[in-house]
Amino acid sequence: MSLIIESVSKRFGDVQALDAISLEIAPGQIFGFLGANGAGKTTAMRIVLDILRPDSGSVTWNGSPNTRVSRETWGYLPEERGLYARMKVLDQLVFFSRLHGVEAGRARREALAWLDRFRIPEYADRRAEQLSKGNQQKIQFIAAILHDPQVLLMDEPFTGLDPVNVALLKEALTEMRDEGKTIVFSTHQMEMVEELCQSIAILDRGRLVESGSVRDVRRASGRQVVRLAVAGDPQIGWLDGMDGLRITRRGQDFVEAEVGRDHDPDMVLRAALARDCRVLRFEITDPSLEEIFIERVGGFDTSERTLAPRSESA
Amino acid sequence: MSAWRSLLPNAWIIAAREYRTRVASGAFIAGTVILAAIAFAVTQAPILIDYVSGTTQTRIAILVRASDAPRQGAAVLDNALNGGTGAGGHKEYVLTLLSSTDISPAQVALEKGTFDGLLVVDRDPASGNLAFTLRTDMPSDGRQVVMITSALHVLAIEDGLERAGTSTASVLAPANLQVVPVSTSGSAKTSNLTQSISASLLTTGLIVLIFMAILTYGAWVAMSVAEEKGSRVMELMLNATTPIQMLAGKVIGHGAAGLSQYGIVLAAVLAGLAAQQPLRQAILGSSSDLSLGGLQLPVLGTFVVFFVLGFLFYSLLYAALGSLVSRQEDVTSATSPLTVVIMLGYFMSVAAVQSTSDTWVVVMSFVPFFSPYMMLARVSAGHIQPWEIGLAVVLLLAAIVIALTFAARVYSAGVLLYGQRVGVRQILRAARASR
Repeated sequence: MSLIIESVSKRFGDVQALDAISLEIAPGQIFGFLGANGAGKTTAMRIVLDILRPDSGSVTWNGSPNTRVSRETWGYLPEERGLYARMKVLDQLVFFSRLHGVEAGRARREALAWLDRFRIPEYADRRAEQLSKGNQQKIQFIAAILHDPQVLLMDEPFTGLDPVNVALLKEALTEMRDEGKTIVFSTHQMEMVEELCQSIAILDRGRLVESGSVRDVRRASGRQVVRLAVAGDPQIGWLDGMDGLRITRRGQDFVEAEVGRDHDPDMVLRAALARDCRVLRFEITDPSLEEIFIERVGGFDTSERTLAPRSESA
Repeated sequence: MSAWRSLLPNAWIIAAREYRTRVASGAFIAGTVILAAIAFAVTQAPILIDYVSGTTQTRIAILVRASDAPRQGAAVLDNALNGGTGAGGHKEYVLTLLSSTDISPAQVALEKGTFDGLLVVDRDPASGNLAFTLRTDMPSDGRQVVMITSALHVLAIEDGLERAGTSTASVLAPANLQVVPVSTSGSAKTSNLTQSISASLLTTGLIVLIFMAILTYGAWVAMSVAEEKGSRVMELMLNATTPIQMLAGKVIGHGAAGLSQYGIVLAAVLAGLAAQQPLRQAILGSSSDLSLGGLQLPVLGTFVVFFVLGFLFYSLLYAALGSLVSRQEDVTSATSPLTVVIMLGYFMSVAAVQSTSDTWVVVMSFVPFFSPYMMLARVSAGHIQPWEIGLAVVLLLAAIVIALTFAARVYSAGVLLYGQRVGVRQILRAARASR
């Protein structure tokens, strides 16, 4: 029971969108897909859904190739949001649900239940074009899951939602995870990943640079981070001179520093005590996903590589 | 091909959605109402023409100076001039018999325009025959004068017979002519010329119907594909369905909407024809024969078959081209090559109606791009073997299958291409790269 992507490659013209990507995504968990713009996340999702065909490699779900898996298996929330502008919301949801094989009466009941849950029951008879962007996004999410798919793939599901709706969506996702569904989503919001995901993959220009459980990824960096706060000295200037230590942040409450691979984080505490500082806070932790992401992706590449809206790539 | 495996029910669900959306749109309703109104009006045109020509009356004053002229003279003239008109019908010639033999007041009335002509009846003392003088501004070789001349001829004969002492009652009885059909089928044939003209007019009309349907409803398909792509709802659809299901649904949905429109317009035509007789009775007080001359069953059958197949073939290509653009505004330019081909076929077949046995017509009538029109032209001309029609249908069906496969490939790749210029290379690459 898992989604396996095996050395999948895809090239568009002279852009290598995916370069021999291999991943195994276990069911019953939420999987985070990280990467800068144009890293290949959307292409990977489209290939998993068999909307695009890879140049080489394969995708299997429960052992059978994705080209043979019935379409009801997949739920998809594309990055490009779109609905039939002049169609009523409820008709629209029933339409998509029926395409996935759900009987019309059931589709209707469940659509109404979801509209209720997302606190927009009054929009059932409105046309999609009359809704705000955030509400259209919720409608699209409902359209993606109404047929109760085994695997849910979402491209940037949280962008554009207010905090209340983010909470509603998170609740729905964790509930689906607890039902044993496999959920994959891409995002730039690291705190969302740390909060929701058990496993992640980081893509950079079509290459897989990191994958595994969130804890393993953070640990595997081999680096450790210490956070120190002492009474009466918010800047803790003496840390600058310490061997094997690199200051990464001087905040209001604490100073954060990275400890070199061959040094012991305890040396910071010992040094503080040796200076007779009154230690308010001392913490040894793994680097955050954000730090790892920036390190692995080599800082933010500002050049857009997104394939969709560009004219010269095909 | 796994895509073929399950065309239903998704193609049907999509077709139903497309149909409902199209039929509920303002453009569809307005277009249907206008077309139906035009169709109804056209069927009433003959009444209008008859009515307008019928209201033109020629008023003739008759001044009889020959005292021994036949007493029934005015009635004889009236019968000869307005002979075809039934009782209570509209009279084209209004005859007024003046009581006075003084010509001056009649002259004044003629100059004032009260009458269109003044007919003076005298007795020629030399020959003893009646002498007629018509004072009028009507052209001397015009229809009215010709009619009056022949009516006067009848009157002159009547006068001669009366003077010879023959009873006139039998002479004045209307001639009894019975028309006996030559063919055994029962209906009298009109002249060959008339029939071939009405047949070729009808054929041209049917060709125009197919032409309009393919252009209009094909464009609907292309527009709706581009709209789906432009609103980005396409990716949701791609996950839910296969390209072939989408294509089939769109083509069937819009085709059905188009047929509905044609059906409504046809109903308006039939209603118009049905209303024609009562209306004619009410307005003109006369009836006329209603004929759909030259409408033969083989032509109608060919029309229906090629109408449906031609629409399927072209709308698949329209869908493929529509999938290559990102915005609805670009649809017209993207589909223009197809429009040119359709126009070409139309003009060729209009020309072919007059020369159906030319070699180029025969050859072109098998080419799937043109056979929907060209076959219609050939079938209505009649010089065609049944196997030729069969071959054209088989070729067109094969072309539809190829078009479906090709369109599905272009479509599934094309719908994911955004913001790109469309060229032959893109189309081929799209067709190659897709699932």
